[in-house]
Amino acid sequence: MGEEPKLYDVTVVWDPNKGGEVQLEGKSSIKVSRPKGEESSPELYTPEHLFVASVTVCFMNSFIYFTRRMHIDFKSFECVGSGTLEQIGKSFEITKIEIKSRLVIDSEELRSKFERALYLGAKYCFVGNSMKSSIAHENEILVG
Amino acid sequence: MSEESHEYHVRVDWTHNKEGNLIVDGKPEMKISTPPEFGGPDGIISPEDLFVAAATACLMTTFVTFKEKMRFDFKSFTCKGKGILERVEKGFQFTRIHLTTTVTVESEDLVPKAERAMELAGRYCLVSNSMKCPTEHENHVLVG
Repeated sequence: MGEEPKLYDVTVVWDPNKGGEVQLEGKSSIKVSRPKGEESSPELYTPEHLFVASVTVCFMNSFIYFTRRMHIDFKSFECVGSGTLEQIGKSFEITKIEIKSRLVIDSEELRSKFERALYLGAKYCFVGNSMKSSIAHENEILVG
Repeated sequence: MSEESHEYHVRVDWTHNKEGNLIVDGKPEMKISTPPEFGGPDGIISPEDLFVAAATACLMTTFVTFKEKMRFDFKSFTCKGKGILERVEKGFQFTRIHLTTTVTVESEDLVPKAERAMELAGRYCLVSNSMKCPTEHENHVLVG
């Protein structure tokens, strides 16, 4: 990893007929909507989902990064993120995010190494560390 | 706005290497990965993209909420978001988000309303309010 700041550019366009769209150069667009109200569409992503998704995906990437550094391989990994939006004073905030992961590994001997990779993955999750929200982790490791 | 709280659930399934799928009930599945600058492939949405997209899309949806409260219409809305990820003491963190917004309205008399709605959207954007880093706004309201 270099020391240079990294820039992330996105464009969001609202078309009164077609609704909102997140555009990322060279990547798929994401159609977005409000969670409720006249122009909301339940089949589209909301900014709240994108926020919770950003930390959940970042945790996975960060965990993978540490497994590579530790030279350990896993069989499967999945995690579920749940964010809670609450009123704080006059406005709303996502106050907490719970991330539950389920990891399948080859042998019991590697368990403690994977526990360490999950711990470091959470500790160095860039996106999680950029949020005010409290982030709680619950990890399950299965041998199979 | 009411006192109620809301929950947002997302799931991430690892597929291979540094890639996985983002799954949210009832919404399109999205391929996600580590970004190229951290050893991931090109052209796939990263958590860093999602983080900046969440703030940018939230400004849009909050603006739409205020324009409804203020009962006026706009012709177009484009917001360009830039997130800056920098190395801090504990790994990387987003240190700043810059949002440049252009709103087009039908007539000159709607300009102050649109400006006010943009200002309120910036203040009440719940995603930005859930982030540690400051969000800078640059708003342009055009008649066209």
